[in-house]
Amino acid sequence: MVSKQDFERLTDYVWELPKDYDARMQVPARIFGNRKVFDAAFGDRSIEQLVNVAMLPGIVKYAMAMPDMHQGYGFPIGGVAAFDKDEGIISPGGVGYDINCGVRMLASRLEFDEIQPHLGDLTTVLYQTCPSGVGGDGAVQLSHKELARVLETGSNWAKKAGYATDDDLERTESRGQLPQANADAVPDRARERGLPQMGSLGSGNHFLEIDVVDEIYDAEAAEAFGLFKDQVVVQIHCGSRGLGHEVCSQYLRELQDAPRRYGIEIPDRELAAAPFNSREGQRYMAAMAAAANYAFANRQVLAHFVRLAFERVLAGKVDGWQLQQVYDVAHNIAKVEEHDVGGRRRSLVVLRKGATRAFPAGHPDLPEIFRRTGQPVLVPGSMGTASYVLAGEPDSLELSFGSSCHGAGRTMSRRAATRQMRGEQVRSELEREGISVRARSMRGLAEEAPAAYKDVSLVVDSVAGAGIARKVARVHPVGVVKG
Amino acid sequence: MGHWVEVEHTADLSLHVWGDDLVDLFATAARGMFSLVAEAGGEGLGPARRVALTALDVETLLVDWLNELLYLHEVERVVIVEVAFERLTETQLEAEVRGTPVGERLAQIKAVTFHNLVVTSGPDGYEAELVFDV
Repeated sequence: MVSKQDFERLTDYVWELPKDYDARMQVPARIFGNRKVFDAAFGDRSIEQLVNVAMLPGIVKYAMAMPDMHQGYGFPIGGVAAFDKDEGIISPGGVGYDINCGVRMLASRLEFDEIQPHLGDLTTVLYQTCPSGVGGDGAVQLSHKELARVLETGSNWAKKAGYATDDDLERTESRGQLPQANADAVPDRARERGLPQMGSLGSGNHFLEIDVVDEIYDAEAAEAFGLFKDQVVVQIHCGSRGLGHEVCSQYLRELQDAPRRYGIEIPDRELAAAPFNSREGQRYMAAMAAAANYAFANRQVLAHFVRLAFERVLAGKVDGWQLQQVYDVAHNIAKVEEHDVGGRRRSLVVLRKGATRAFPAGHPDLPEIFRRTGQPVLVPGSMGTASYVLAGEPDSLELSFGSSCHGAGRTMSRRAATRQMRGEQVRSELEREGISVRARSMRGLAEEAPAAYKDVSLVVDSVAGAGIARKVARVHPVGVVKG
Repeated sequence: MGHWVEVEHTADLSLHVWGDDLVDLFATAARGMFSLVAEAGGEGLGPARRVALTALDVETLLVDWLNELLYLHEVERVVIVEVAFERLTETQLEAEVRGTPVGERLAQIKAVTFHNLVVTSGPDGYEAELVFDV
């Protein structure tokens, strides 16, 4: 078992487990977070999982965990690892089942007091127009031909179909389309699951939320992102639905004997991997990218229906209800990116599993609008608590391949949460705080209760302290829609 | 007789499953998984569905089996309540399964994972610990 004494404290926010801790480690493992976050990391098996990541062939610099880290399967949640494009591997377990789960923020020009009288109606209409729940069908039924376009062009399909503007695409990570995608690499069963689910939230920790900006920390960046105090904004948190789950499952299964064939040592079968440049590695990358494109399109279609709901409830009653996209980030994804490593520019495959890209000002991959500020990093808190908008900082490139945290991070199991509270109780507490709640499952509400999560402020202060991203704005929820 | 216990996991769901033999392990794992997923909502049994799988080893076969049942659950909106194995070895499975309409849904399992999965056998039968992504 790893103990605290095995780690070296490099700064107030960076902790390192040296490579000689285990002969199988290729690189050291690092945890980002203050002392409290570091201590909490020993509460479950996430460090053991991080050490496993450090053992994978071709891993560059360190295996890393963000301050919202917690136990996952394969990678820890909050895990980041980069692999050499020529000598490294790719593992479906490093991205996970919900490929391109991510967050989108939309901003109105309204202040909270303008929508307060309509808040109940707005939450209800959002609940009715944006499908949610376990296995639920989406707002749009796709044909096989359309699905192939979604898989290969992501948000660009949504634009052609009338669900997106060019400005939305500009404000989406990778413009909502990963170039490696190939629809033919997506298994039939995954397509079958994807056909009916376009434009749906799903369940679990996914949500749609109406929020109010209650704090601005960086006025210049806030202005560039289109944010101001008391403003009403919307967050959408969801991913690639059944299609993504099926892509991960099927490729993980196919890769079960790849480690033997390629002579790769893996510490956990969930980390089954193939060389990135092998036929299997490339095929998984093409399918993963296609599923990621499906997720970008899914959040885009949901954004369209959120806009319709705002129009339906607010048009003619108040001005400024139109929603402009702030940004859309992926937090379960594999990307091919260029990074400086030891003074040399290298092509890397960066895996972010419960981690968000956080590129700084001046990065060539960012659109003009974010060139001076760094990209927006959206960090949703747990249900009923604050969320943060951060901006990528220059040190993120050196520290974490331009990656930041993705949320609060659980501390309590779902079972423990449902033992401690009932969904009805969670809802009435939220309603007492002035948060309107519409949920399909009371049990789901109990599982996602704020008490089951870390304090998101602690997580955000840790990435800010480490120099990965800085705080731009904080929002708090006033309306929550859950599956 | 097969049985299972739930194992604490911070974000996902996990079960430790025991069975007298391989058939019992596979049948019990299915019952355990559905105890997490949904309650049966109806009396009647739906039509029988055939499941035929070939896998490289027993762990992969177990993951395939449970994923197959989750798939039937999602597309046919049923809880699988009856399984009859016609053939089960460490690498091959043929079974007939029947479901009943879904009642209250409890959790959406995205997939059955391979995380640290090992099927072991001893004098008391077979056991395995499964992690489900939710």
